[in-house]
Formats: sequence, C-alpha cells, structure tokens
Amino acid sequence: MTPALEFSGIEGGYEPGLPILRGAGARVMPGEIVTLLGPNGAGKSTLVKAAAGLVPVWAGRVTLGGRDITGMPAHRMVHEGLGFVPQTENVFANLSVLDNLKLAAALVAKRRRRELAEMFALFPDLDRQRGLAAGRLSGGQRQMLAVARALVASPSVLMLDEPSAGLSPKLVGVVFDRLRAVRDAGVPILLVEQNVKAALALADRAVVLVEGRERLEGAAREVAADPRLKALYFGAHEEAA
Amino acid sequence: MLQLVADGLVVGSVIALGAVGLTLTYSILRFANFGQGEFMTWGAYLAVSALALVLAVTGAGVMEPLGPFSFGWQLIPAMALAAVLTAAIALAVDWALFRRLRRQGNAITLVIASFGAALALRNLVQFLYGTLPEYYTREIQIAIRLVPRDVLGGLRITPDQMLVIGLSLLLVVALHVMLARTTLGRAMRATAMNPALARVAGVDVDGVVRATWVIGAMLAAVAGVMAGVVGQVRPMLGFDLLLPLFAAAILGGIGSVWGAVLGGYIVGLAESFSVPLFGAEYRAATAFLVLIGILLLRPTGIFGERA
Ligand SMILES: Nc1ncnc2c1ncn2[C@@H]1O[C@H](COP(=O)(O)OP(=O)(O)OP(=O)(O)O)[C@@H](O)[C@H]1O
Ligand SMILES: [Mg+2]
Repeated sequence: MTPALEFSGIEGGYEPGLPILRGAGARVMPGEIVTLLGPNGAGKSTLVKAAAGLVPVWAGRVTLGGRDITGMPAHRMVHEGLGFVPQTENVFANLSVLDNLKLAAALVAKRRRRELAEMFALFPDLDRQRGLAAGRLSGGQRQMLAVARALVASPSVLMLDEPSAGLSPKLVGVVFDRLRAVRDAGVPILLVEQNVKAALALADRAVVLVEGRERLEGAAREVAADPRLKALYFGAHEEAA
Repeated sequence: MLQLVADGLVVGSVIALGAVGLTLTYSILRFANFGQGEFMTWGAYLAVSALALVLAVTGAGVMEPLGPFSFGWQLIPAMALAAVLTAAIALAVDWALFRRLRRQGNAITLVIASFGAALALRNLVQFLYGTLPEYYTREIQIAIRLVPRDVLGGLRITPDQMLVIGLSLLLVVALHVMLARTTLGRAMRATAMNPALARVAGVDVDGVVRATWVIGAMLAAVAGVMAGVVGQVRPMLGFDLLLPLFAAAILGGIGSVWGAVLGGYIVGLAESFSVPLFGAEYRAATAFLVLIGILLLRPTGIFGERA
C-alpha cells in the first residue's frame, strides 16, 4: 500500500550549516493516526514545518500519496492535499470564524472544497461563534477552528502540531475525540504531541524523534510499553542539563 | 470657516487615497514605502500623456467639458490607463528591487531602497516631462455657492472639487467591500496578520503581494490625477504630499483603511485651518506638526491596536 505521507532522510533547518533535522523519517498509512513524539527541541515542529514548505529541506524526500512534493511552494501543497495546523498562531486572529473558513475553502479547487455546514456539524461550538474574531475564541475553540480550517480543503493527510497545548485535560479529550472522527471519516493524521500518554492512547502508531532523527517506531501500544521511550525522553533531558 | 472645511476635505480626499495605499502596502509588505508619493506623480503625468493619446485617437483635438466639470470624458479613460501603467511601474520596481531585498528580510533596507526608488522615479519624471506644470484642461470653472456668505462665512465649491471628494469616498468604500467580502480581500487580511499561516492555508503570498502593489499604485495614480484636476500636475506633486500621507496613515493607525481615510481628512483640515491661523507659508509644516503630535500622544494612532 502507498503511504498517505512519507518523509525519508529529511535534512534541514533554519540557517545553513545548523541542521535541526538530521535524516528524519516517518510514514503515515491510509486510515491511521501516527503520533510524532520526542523531547522539547527534538525537531518535531521543524519536521512538520519542513514537510509543509515553511522550512527549507536540504536533503531527503517528502511524498504525498506517492507523489514527490519536496520543495514545492507551501500554498501549492495545500492544493495537492496536504493539510497543516501549526503549533502556535494557527488561526487568523483578525478574521471572523466564518472568514477563516471561507478563505480556506475558496483557495482550493471546487472538487476539494467541503461545505462549511459540514465543518459546523463537526464542531458545533464554532457554529455559535461564526461572527466572532478568531482571536477572541477560547483555547479549545481556537484549536477546533484551526483543524476545521485545514479540513475544509479536504486534505488527503492532516498534520497537526500539538493541538492539545494549553488545553485542560477535559478539552484534550474533546479535541482528540474529534480527531478520531476525522480519521474515521478517512483522513489520516500525523499528530505531533507532548502529551505522550493521551497521544499514545489515541494513535495507531508512534514515531519518537530525538535530535532530528527517528529513534523508535512502532504500534502505539508497543511504544507505550517500551522501556526505551522513557530513556529517550530522559536521556535528552540529561544532555540538556 | 465652512470654506476652510470644504478646502480641507478636498485636500484630505487626495491624502486619504494615497494614505490608504500606503497603509495597505505597509501591512502586507511590512515596510514604509517612500515611493508612494511618486506613484501619485507618475499617475498624474501618465494621465497627461494618456489624455493626449485618447484625444489623438478619437480625433477630438480639444476636450469638450463634460457636464459641469472642467474636463471632458476623455480624462476618464486616460485616468484608467494611467492607473494601469502606474501599477505596472510598481510591479516592475518590486520585481527589480524589493523582491530581492524581501528575501533578506530587513525592513530598514527596504525603506532605504524605497527612498532611492522614489528619488529615481521623481528625477525620471522631471527628465521626461520637464519641470513646468501641466494641466489637463485650461477650462476655468465657476465655483458654485452652496452656502450664502452670511452663514459661517459661506461656502463655494467647484464641481471638480465635489467630484474629488465623492470619487475618493467611493473608491475607499469599494476597497473596504473588497477587503471584507472577497477571497482576495480575505487573503490580504490573512497575509497581513500571519504570512506563514497564510501560505499553509493555501494563499499564494507572492500573488497577494503583487495585488497589493497594483491596488496601492492605482489608488495613488487616481489621487495624483485628482490632485492635478483641482491643481497642477507638477514633478513635486507626490513628494509634497508624502509627509501628509505618512501623517495620515500613522494618525489613523497604520494598517487600518478607515484610519487612513480619517487621518487624511484630519491632516487636510489641519492644513487648511493653519492658513488663516499661521499664514500660508506654514501650511506644509502642519502635517509635520500633526505627525509629531501623534507620535508623542498616541503612537499607535486612532485605530491602531498593535503596540
Ligand atoms: N524559527 C527558528 N529559527 C531558528 N531556530 C529555531 C526556530 N524554531 C526552532 N528552532 C530551533 O530548532 C530546534 C528544534 O525546535 P522545534 O521547535 O522543531 O522542536 P520541537 O520538537 O517542536 O519542540 P517542542 O516540543 O518544544 O515544540 C530547537 O533547537 C529550536 O531552538
Ligand atoms: Mg514544537
């Protein structure tokens, strides 16, 4: 089966000569949620940003449904079917909820465009706040809008960078519940998370990234039980100290 | 008294249009474009040439005034053509100069470069058209008395001046609707807020940048033509308006369209009221005073939010 999304041997970073990604790889198969774990500064955000076209890729390949999209301008990847929700500032705060969604929908070809009504059915909270500036939403609603903004362009894969950051445990449950619904509706997800326990409970598979390279990979349940998981997090902390 | 208000609104309308363009390019390109004034000058002069062309092509020779106005219908297509050509100049300057500098991402470099571009554009205009003022028409217009002399000093205004106020308002409203209701408008607001997120949401940011130049330059060109209609077309037309433009944009809160419009009217009114108060020779200093005043009292401007 062709992976929905695959990274292989990705090298890249923000400044030439200062690599953050050192041959990182990961793959997402159709129908699954893969969680990308790793200690602070491991390069998780950098990897998804590089895949989305926001950070230069020096070497390696990103393929989407088997097509090579490495180095493509970020906005064209959206047309190709890559959905990305960044870690911070992931909604247009100055635009209303409705305008955030209308913009994202209008930017893709008609055949990709989903009905806004579908988004409001999936996230009823947003329906009640249509006219509100996105910057005034609560943390949970903001994450919902960020996900809806990506979904309205019917991506063939969705990359999410820490959608649970700053949310109460109860809200994390709500957001993850929505993500499960998204996967079940046929959109595979690459989920970057700090919330290791919750992420491993949700995901089908897991990849652990340390210093820009994947160090552990497997079914989520096995990774959760693997003693190396703690060591990888712990080791990185010791190095940092 | 009323007369000063009317005069201020006419000048303010021209400033407002230029300032709106300035504020748009600032919020999307993230630098203060000192060339905005020169786009006004170029628009005004290109309309002189375009008018000659339209008159030659239609074989009219001289322009018959259109209704109550001093100019004929030929000025309308000439202005449209001038606006398109001015937009082309803006795109060319962006392509040759700013596009390269943007990659290095230093706002100061861009500002200085725009200073240089402005100087080059101004000298080129002088070289091509000379330094003597030009006019679209030599027709003398009779001002209409709207308010009798015994009410607050009375008010006389020419149809041309009324047109300037009306057209400027119309264009700003059109721009507002475009920004609020269309995909391009939403994409422009989104890019102004967060260019990286705009890209991953599918916005072609380079396209938005080009659209911004086109809109800003076209507004400047129309403002320049309007300044020429109620005054003269001079090589310093835009440069002399540059400080008022900046004062208006900053007064309104940079990035805010309605702020720039309101700022334009306030600066126009301040200039017009300064004449009886301090004498005509200090008129040009008024915008400078307004600018210093705002920077001291409220640096974010009337509608500014970002500190
Ligand atoms: N914009 C940037 N410019 C330069 N370096 C950066 C930038 N963003 C991140 N870095 C550096 O890249 C490295 C990896 O950061 P990254 O944000 O990818 O880590 P992460 O795994 O997402 O961490 P976290 O869990 O804290 O989000 C860090 O050393 C960080 O300092
Ligand atoms: Mg991160």
